Order: sequence, then C-alpha cells, then structure tokens
Amino acid sequence: MHTLHEFFVAPFGYEFMQRGLLAATLLGVSGGLLGVLMLLRRLALMGDALAHSLLPGIGLAYFAFGPSPAAMLGGALIAGMFTALGSALVTRLTRVKEEAAFAALFIIFFGAGVALVSAMRTKIDLSHFLFGHVLGVGGSDLRLAAAASTLTVTVALIGYRPLVLESFDPTFYRALGGRGPLLHLGVLALIVLNLVAALHAMGAVLALGLFILPAVTAYLWTDRLGRLFAVSVADAVLGAAGGMLLSYHGGIASGASIVLVLGAAFLFSALASPRYGMVAKLVRLAREGRGVLHTPE
Amino acid sequence: MSAAHAHAHGRAHTGPHPDAPGACVHHTHDILRFRGVTVAYGRTVALDSITANIECNSLTAIVGPNGAGKTTLLRAILGWMPLAAGEIRIGDHHAHHALPRLAYLPQRAEIDWDFPITVEAVVAQGRYPALGAFRGFRAEDHDLVDRAIAELGLDDLRGRQIRSLSGGQQQRVFLARALAQGADIFLLDEPFAGLDTRASDDLIARLTHWLDQGRTVLAVVHDLDLARRAFPQALLLNTRLIEVGPTATVLDPARIESAYGPAHGPR
Repeated sequence: MHTLHEFFVAPFGYEFMQRGLLAATLLGVSGGLLGVLMLLRRLALMGDALAHSLLPGIGLAYFAFGPSPAAMLGGALIAGMFTALGSALVTRLTRVKEEAAFAALFIIFFGAGVALVSAMRTKIDLSHFLFGHVLGVGGSDLRLAAAASTLTVTVALIGYRPLVLESFDPTFYRALGGRGPLLHLGVLALIVLNLVAALHAMGAVLALGLFILPAVTAYLWTDRLGRLFAVSVADAVLGAAGGMLLSYHGGIASGASIVLVLGAAFLFSALASPRYGMVAKLVRLAREGRGVLHTPE
Repeated sequence: MSAAHAHAHGRAHTGPHPDAPGACVHHTHDILRFRGVTVAYGRTVALDSITANIECNSLTAIVGPNGAGKTTLLRAILGWMPLAAGEIRIGDHHAHHALPRLAYLPQRAEIDWDFPITVEAVVAQGRYPALGAFRGFRAEDHDLVDRAIAELGLDDLRGRQIRSLSGGQQQRVFLARALAQGADIFLLDEPFAGLDTRASDDLIARLTHWLDQGRTVLAVVHDLDLARRAFPQALLLNTRLIEVGPTATVLDPARIESAYGPAHGPR
C-alpha cells in the first residue's frame, strides 16, 4: 500500500503537479467532447493545421506586449480564427477544397510564425509552444482552461441535436432550415479556444492528442452517441491523470506522456475491440476465407 | 435548427390544419403548384419556367435524363434554391411556410453510414423539427417514433447500427424518420438506387399503401419501367417540363424521345 501511495498519490503533493493535473482534467473534459465532434465531422487532421497556425499570433503578441500570458493567448486565438475564416473564404470563393485550403493557409501562418520568432530573437522557446511545459502552467492557464471547458460543455449540450444532425446527414439538417456553415465555424472556434487553453500544459500540437485520441478510442467501443461522448471524456480525464504520473516518474514532457498513455489505450482498442478491432476483423475474414487486401476501404 | 412554423399566409386558413398528416384526404385539390419556376446555377439554367400541379394523395415519379433538373426540382420545393422566376405553393402557402409538412429522403451517398447511431436514434431525429434544439421528447413524440418504426417493420432492428443493415432496411429507416416527422408530403431522391428487386417491390408496396393514408409522394426515378409499373403519375423533365399527368400518357415513346433524345433511348 505504501508504494502504491507513493506512486499514485504522493506526486500530486507538489503544487505544479496539482496545477498540471487540474489543467489536464479540465481540458480532458472539453477535449473528450470536442474530439467526438471533430471525429464525426472529419476535422481530426484540420485540428493539427489549426494548432500550427497559432504561432504567428503568439509571436506578434509577444512582440507587442512582452511575455504576458493573456496577450499570447489572445494572439493565438486571433491567428487561429484568421486561419479558420481564411480557409472558409478560400473554400467558398475559389475551387480549392476545404482541406487543401487549410493546408495552404496553416503552413503560411506557421512559416510566418517561425520567421517572426527567429527575427525577433526573443526567448520564446518553439518547443514549448509545440510540446508544452507543465511547469509553465499558471493561474491564467487554469482560468482559461476552466473557461474553455465550461464553454465547450455548454455548446455540446445546447448544440447537441444540430451538431449531431449536421454531421450525420447535412441534407436533412438543411431541409429543416439549419445553417450548416455557421455551425461549422462555431466548431472551429471552439477547437482554437481549446488549443490555446492547452498551450502551456500540452503544447499546441500535442494538445490535439487529448482531443482526438479519446474520441477515436471510444469510437471503437460503442455505436451509441451518448456513450461515445461519455467514454471519450472518461478516457481523456484518466489519460490526463495517468500521463501526469508517467511524466513525473519518467521525467518526460507532460504533453508527450499524456499522449503516450492515451495512445496506448487507442492501440489496445484498435487491436482488441470485440466488434471493430483488428483481431476480431481478422478472425472474421479468416473464417470467410478472405485476406485483408480483399476488404473494402 | 429553426423549425419553420406553418401559418396562414396573410389570410384566414380554412380546412384542416396544414401540419396534420392526411390533411388532404377529403380533398382532390392540388397540393403542390409550380408557376413558371425557373432556377439557375450561375448562367446555367437548371429549371426553365416549370408550370405544373401535383394532386393531393398522388404518387408521382419525377423522370428525365441526367442533368434534367430532377434533384433541383426537389430542392426548389424545399426552398434551398432561390427561384430566378416563378413561385411554388404548397396548399395555400408559399413553400417556405410549409417546411414541417415536407419530408425529404436524401440520396444514399449523403449519409455517413459509419456514424455511431442506432436505428431508433435516426428515426427519433424525425421529431427534431417539431421539438427544436432543446425540448425533450414527450410521450406523443415517443409514440410517433414507435409507430413509424412499427409501420416500417423495424422493431427487431431498433438497437442496430445503421451500417449493419441491408440496403432495403437502411432505406426503411430513413422512410421511418420521414414518417416520424409527421409530414404528409414526401420528397424522395432516388429511393430505388441500390435496392435489389425484392427491396424495390417492398418499397413500392409501402408507397402505394401510403396513398390510402392521405400522403403525397414525389420520387426521382431513373428506371422508366419501374416508373410505369409503380407510379400512377409522372412528371417528365428536361430542364423544361415535357409533360405531367398519368404515367402512361407522359411516358409515351414520342415524349421520351423528346426528353432523352433519339440517340440515347431510355433503358
């Protein structure tokens, strides 16, 4: 018992671990919900693009206001919204499709961000932006994480029917008079907000793991939407806590260790899920006398 | 999602409430009226001054070659396409006042079949227009969902994920959702696509049965033989209206040639 206590509980006696855990839990709740929305709307990779595009906003804010967390978060939010709105405009007004528009814009933004950071010779550490630094989680990060989490939960509750219907059957949603593009922009805004909130604890790029991994893991276990959201949130929160422990004991960056714990849960599910896992599928194919190459998709 | 409310447009509405299914059981009036309906995508005219009436309680096949504007016609009824000219009236109302009366069955390709959702949950979506985004299901909503599921023979499949169903069963799930909506005008976009003969025959039997219940059905149909066999009414389209009326009259060889062209005879 003594060693168990030392392994699981004692680390959270440190204040930075408490802050990190609180931030990760708050972000796990919103990330678990948001990830399901991203998964169902096929936005998983677009989140990655959005994450990279935050950099110039952070760089400019640093340039203008110095190392103020609020300013950097504001800058990131603005850069993310520029990318989202810019892609929406390019998609609507040119022949370029949405994922290509996103790819084009995010890499421009990221390039501009790297240019800014290098030209300013500031002390912004690019790796902290990308991968996070749990010791950097302060009061303003916690407040922002709480705000992002509250907003995400509220939107998920209020928007449940429209969000689900618009992803599942956009034509029917339109037939009922729904406004798809507006809903879409709302989801993108929510992604940016959560990315920004996760900046210090996870890093913009690794934060995506906290959003996407729990959702795809849950997707392998259930066909019911309510359970999908519940399993995703539970997985995100548990993974966040487990990741903090791994980070502490292994001396690993917190964002990376959270992603590794969540990743292990996903890989296990992809292999072992009784209905949608690889092993079950291979057994079924073998029984039917077919090989993997003969399966559709 | 804003559920449009049907209400009398400018003048007192007499007769059955427009939301009520079977609103036109005792009427033989025209439920859908197109007057010079013109729709354009940029400079391409998709529908050119269509004037036609669709009777209450009718089963009409919308027929025409690819690009004839069949789907556009359904979308115009739903109010998704701005009309360059003309008007569409549903009963005594402009189309956009009658959205709850309309149920639209999308083409198969527009659905995400891997979506984590059960048969029952899809059918329950039919109540969303009436309930809006927040209101919970009342007893009568559950009742409508149950009845729609029962009518389409889906009781044993309630808890199944939709990918795991056959094509015919999948089609029935979406018909059940349309029923649960409480609509009385059904716009079906290629409902027979991908169905085997047995499933097609089953669908035909159901749609024919719907006629007895005061429902009006418009379906985009590609198979002319099927249209002749199963649909009493037809609307033949090639951007312009070629003919509308009894199927035998509409789908005669001369008219079909004028729609499809002499080189490409219909299948």
